Amino acid sequence: MTYSHLEEVSGEVGAFQLKVRKKARYVNEDLCTGCGACVEKCPTTVEDAFNVGLGERKAIYKYFPQGIPSTHCIDAENCRQLGQGKKCGICAKVCQAGAVDYEQQDQFVDLEVGAIVLATGYDVFDPSVIPEYGYGRIDNVVTAIEFERLLSASGPTHGHLDRPSELALRVEIAALDKDLKKFNRQIDKLEEKHGKKTAEFVKEFKAGQAGEDGDFERWASLAEKAAVAEEKLAPLNKKEAAAHTAKKLAFIQCVGSRDFRFNRFCSSYCCMHSVKEAMIAHEHDNETTSSIFCMDLRAVGRGFEEYKLRGGKSANIQYIRGRVAEITEDEAHNPIVWYESTTTRTVEHETFDMVVLATACVPSAGTPKLAELMGLDLDENGFFKTDSLIPLDTSRPGIFVCGCAQGPMDIPESVAQASSAAARAAEVVFTAPKAASGGGK
Amino acid sequence: MNIEDAAQATQTYYCLDCGVCTGSCPVSRVLPSFSPRIMVEKALLGLGDELLKDRDLWSCLTCSRCFERCPSSIDFPEFMRLLREEAIKLGTQPAYSHHGMLQTIMELQTQGINQRKTDWAREAGKVAEKGDTFFFVGCMPYFQVIFRYLGVDSLSVSQNIIKILNGAGIEPVVSDDEHCCGHDMLWNGQVETFEKLASHNLEVIRASGAKRVVFNCPEGFYTFKRHYTEHFGDLGFEIIHFYDLVAQMFEEGSISVENGVGPITYHDPCRLGRMAKVYDGPRDILTRLAGDNFVEMERNRENAVCCGTSGWANCSTGSKQIQVERLKEAQATGAKTLVTACQKCQIHLTCALSNFEMDLELKDLTSLLAEAIT
Repeated sequence: MTYSHLEEVSGEVGAFQLKVRKKARYVNEDLCTGCGACVEKCPTTVEDAFNVGLGERKAIYKYFPQGIPSTHCIDAENCRQLGQGKKCGICAKVCQAGAVDYEQQDQFVDLEVGAIVLATGYDVFDPSVIPEYGYGRIDNVVTAIEFERLLSASGPTHGHLDRPSELALRVEIAALDKDLKKFNRQIDKLEEKHGKKTAEFVKEFKAGQAGEDGDFERWASLAEKAAVAEEKLAPLNKKEAAAHTAKKLAFIQCVGSRDFRFNRFCSSYCCMHSVKEAMIAHEHDNETTSSIFCMDLRAVGRGFEEYKLRGGKSANIQYIRGRVAEITEDEAHNPIVWYESTTTRTVEHETFDMVVLATACVPSAGTPKLAELMGLDLDENGFFKTDSLIPLDTSRPGIFVCGCAQGPMDIPESVAQASSAAARAAEVVFTAPKAASGGGK
Repeated sequence: MNIEDAAQATQTYYCLDCGVCTGSCPVSRVLPSFSPRIMVEKALLGLGDELLKDRDLWSCLTCSRCFERCPSSIDFPEFMRLLREEAIKLGTQPAYSHHGMLQTIMELQTQGINQRKTDWAREAGKVAEKGDTFFFVGCMPYFQVIFRYLGVDSLSVSQNIIKILNGAGIEPVVSDDEHCCGHDMLWNGQVETFEKLASHNLEVIRASGAKRVVFNCPEGFYTFKRHYTEHFGDLGFEIIHFYDLVAQMFEEGSISVENGVGPITYHDPCRLGRMAKVYDGPRDILTRLAGDNFVEMERNRENAVCCGTSGWANCSTGSKQIQVERLKEAQATGAKTLVTACQKCQIHLTCALSNFEMDLELKDLTSLLAEAIT
């Protein structure tokens, strides 16, 4: 059951009663074939949360391509029909399966289970609270997850490493272009009507020789507006023409982790994802060079150290020992990284095309609420509390936890934990005296 | 306090050896041999004696840029201060600026000299001998005389405060007997002199019956807020920065200003910004005075850079370099006026500005405010 919320929990190990709110998708998932015709025709575009705001999606959407079940969902708040009370209904019209249902309501599902496994994941630390890194102020400083989306073939830039400053520039150019085209269309009509070129007209108008006509004030103002827009566009287009994809990358480790100000723990997976991202960026474009700034690159796992070394040898990755002190920005929106190289004992600064922050793994926003609902303890970092010798058991019997809900860990470890948690749950379900009454999970 | 105790007190043993401090340090950028990280490393490796004999102990600006960013929250400025206390005992001394004149004045004040400090205050407006609000003037009357040659008019700042307070119906206590707050002595490593000055000030303030003490000088404000309470416990009166009081006045409507100041930018003093966390008060005033004409420098608030020297010690070519760079940063914003909120910043930056041509004026925030009050 995806797109659902847990509302109530009662009972005890072997016989939990759960009340789940299954939120209305406004699309009948049994009928929807996932063809995507509705998305194509939907007139409303909004910021795409899955692409961390870097791209856009429609008001009817699929959160991400591999989502299960493979169905669509209407973002009611932004939908013209549902949220804004306008007449639209386009998605319902184009849906051949007749799956769109504007009347759909949230449903409540009661479940009886023997054991519960929490796999609620984690959130990415928000680095905008670190003033020295300039995230949010300097366009080309991005988080690892944003970088991941830029690098993804299904992402907002189709895998090209376009820089956010240039993406913003293109949006600005497109808006100005649209205005300019509108002005020019009106100007063309006026030129045709009066049989005169605008340049000629403006000259006469300024000299007061144009004569009287109801159109003239408007024509002059349009000419003025078009000139202003053209003037604004010229330098922007020049900048756009000079733009190139990001080829010189910096990765900054321990952003928000191993830091008393934010999280004391090591997020454990970021060293490897920085190496991986640098490797993939190099695969996309062999001219890419990367510098990874770290205190120690924690390649802890089978084959990880070898992977790190391979990155250095074959993917133009340089490992620099030193935590970055601050990031400033030059006039071309290039971030400048200031740091002390602790191996050479010198303070350096270097300009990059893009800086990627390896942001910490923090408890997901819903964790405290869920803990309260289920009566579970949290540890000092805000993850579900477990004991190091029984790492999958929460503080309440019959409720287990795996993956980053329990603490930062990488994918292989999460997968291993998931299997273990399932086994622990099975143990409860098959041995608890009350198990016969319930289903099982 | 020996080095080991100092390391305990400031938790330097948590050091990750990451280099954020040195990478952030304005001194390390102009004086490559100076490195906070190496200093901590030396202390932890038992090489502290080397540190205590090194005059560079006073090259640290104690600006707190490193502490602000340190992932282990090591209070490096405080660590430096504690080490200086030790070093002074061993006979190591900084290179005192202005021939040590300012330190001499501070020492003299502990000897019970008579000061005539209130004449200028009476010229400015109404002041009282006893009352609820004590205005702690600080070193402005001394700066007025010493830095006259630079054209820095420090006393007018204090006079403007009296005028603004009077305008809001407040008659502050200004005392002839007030001494230097002891900030510089404390940071120079002379903790005994600091304590003498501080205990005297506490007596004077308490005798005035004041319930709150208003500061304009960021150093005085921060020293009372942190070190007076650390040394003497509960002070028995409230400490308030003048800009917080101004914010209250705006809220009550007891003052109003005219918006019309040309392009300006603002330099955060270390003691006021990073150390006392007063960032928004000055910006609120600047926005009221200049609206959109108030522009930020790239390195502002937590990231601001020190004015180049502190505690009247170890002023060097490096200090000048830091100051000139800061002035250039201000100019790059397009501002014609660089506003400061600390007379020491004003003095140091004016000194740097006097050496070369730049279309930039330095102005104190309080004076700017006083001029705009309607």
